[in-house]
Amino acid sequence: MSGAPATTEGTEAQHGAGFPPFKTESFPSQIFWLTVTFAFLFVVLWRIAGPRIAQALALRKGHIAGDIAAAGKHKSDAEAALTGYEAALASARGRAHAEAEENRRLIEADVEKSKAAAEIEFREAAAKAAAGIEVVRAEAAKHVTKAAQDAAAAIVTRLLGDTVSPEEAEAAVKATGA
Amino acid sequence: MAMNPMEQFEVKPLIAEPLFSIGGHPIYFTNQALFMCVVVVSAALFLTLTVSKGRLVPSRGQSMAEVSYEFVANMIRSTMGEDGLVFFPFILTLFMFVLFSNFFGLIPWTFTVTSQIAVTFALASVVILVMIVTGFMKHGLGFLMLFVPKAPWYLLILLVPIEIISFLTRPVSLSVRLFANMLAGHTLLAVFASFVILLGAAGGVLSVLSIAPLLLIVAIFALEMLVSFLQAYVFSILTCIYLNEALHLHDHH
Repeated sequence: MSGAPATTEGTEAQHGAGFPPFKTESFPSQIFWLTVTFAFLFVVLWRIAGPRIAQALALRKGHIAGDIAAAGKHKSDAEAALTGYEAALASARGRAHAEAEENRRLIEADVEKSKAAAEIEFREAAAKAAAGIEVVRAEAAKHVTKAAQDAAAAIVTRLLGDTVSPEEAEAAVKATGA
Repeated sequence: MAMNPMEQFEVKPLIAEPLFSIGGHPIYFTNQALFMCVVVVSAALFLTLTVSKGRLVPSRGQSMAEVSYEFVANMIRSTMGEDGLVFFPFILTLFMFVLFSNFFGLIPWTFTVTSQIAVTFALASVVILVMIVTGFMKHGLGFLMLFVPKAPWYLLILLVPIEIISFLTRPVSLSVRLFANMLAGHTLLAVFASFVILLGAAGGVLSVLSIAPLLLIVAIFALEMLVSFLQAYVFSILTCIYLNEALHLHDHH
């Protein structure tokens, strides 16, 4: 910019030697423009940008918090369902157990009853059989006495050639105590 | 002229005639004014146009705008606590202005707004002014206790003058730090750039050697990007620390 037209003494002096930032002629312009631009940026950030970003951040934070809360609710719901399921399972198991126990008891009682009935039947049959045997034995004993009389009569006839009446034979056998 | 590394810091009128004058001082539309406008318009657009509040997953631009916003908000929270957020618009503006000025200055043929002591000192003065106004509004004359640290009385004779001097040097250190960093970095870049041109124009072996300063420029440029961000950060966090003193005096929040 060495060829730039010098408009004031100030800018003329700027082209001379010296440290540019310390040239005071430019200070009023610098401060003026700094004030204007800084104030502009301040107002934009304060009134527009700041609230907008804050709102965007708050909205997202709210959204995320809502999502987390919904997830937490789903989780507790699932946990409640699980405990309900476990309780139902336990009660069903208890009921099944009780029913099985009851059935077992019923069957046992049944078996016991049948067993008792069978025993009574068996006893009766045994008693009946014993009575039968007794009858048969008495009959047999009668037959044995008769056979002994007959045999005694037959023996007497063979040995003595004598006939013995059944009454005599009977009396004789009875006398021996047979 | 092209070889003068200071030439880039020259504030030159772009329109030859002064626009108007304030108190006898002519106001020109200068190259610096142009870049101030560029800086604030792009910063304003960056923080407004990219942001759409309905978006659940932010776009790249919105993400960057939100990160800048949160960065400044967290800076204030960590230094001043929640009640410091009343200064949020001011500190966000300060940070954005300095950051965009620094970064725009890195683009070749641009003007670095913050390389002018007048600008940085004006910004620092605003910071100190805000601090003093806040302090007196919040604590009344008790704000003067800022200069009285908790110490035995015989030490205060020594400490109070030191506190006052350190307070008075604040605007100076705040402005000179930013200004000098920007000035030094850009001067260094210009000096190495002129080496490249000089060596390249010399011809022969020297032309080949010009690659060395060129590589250095790349390295320094990367460093300057870091410095640009860092100085914007330092400027705003020091502002936070000063304003925190005005809000809470010595007691830590």
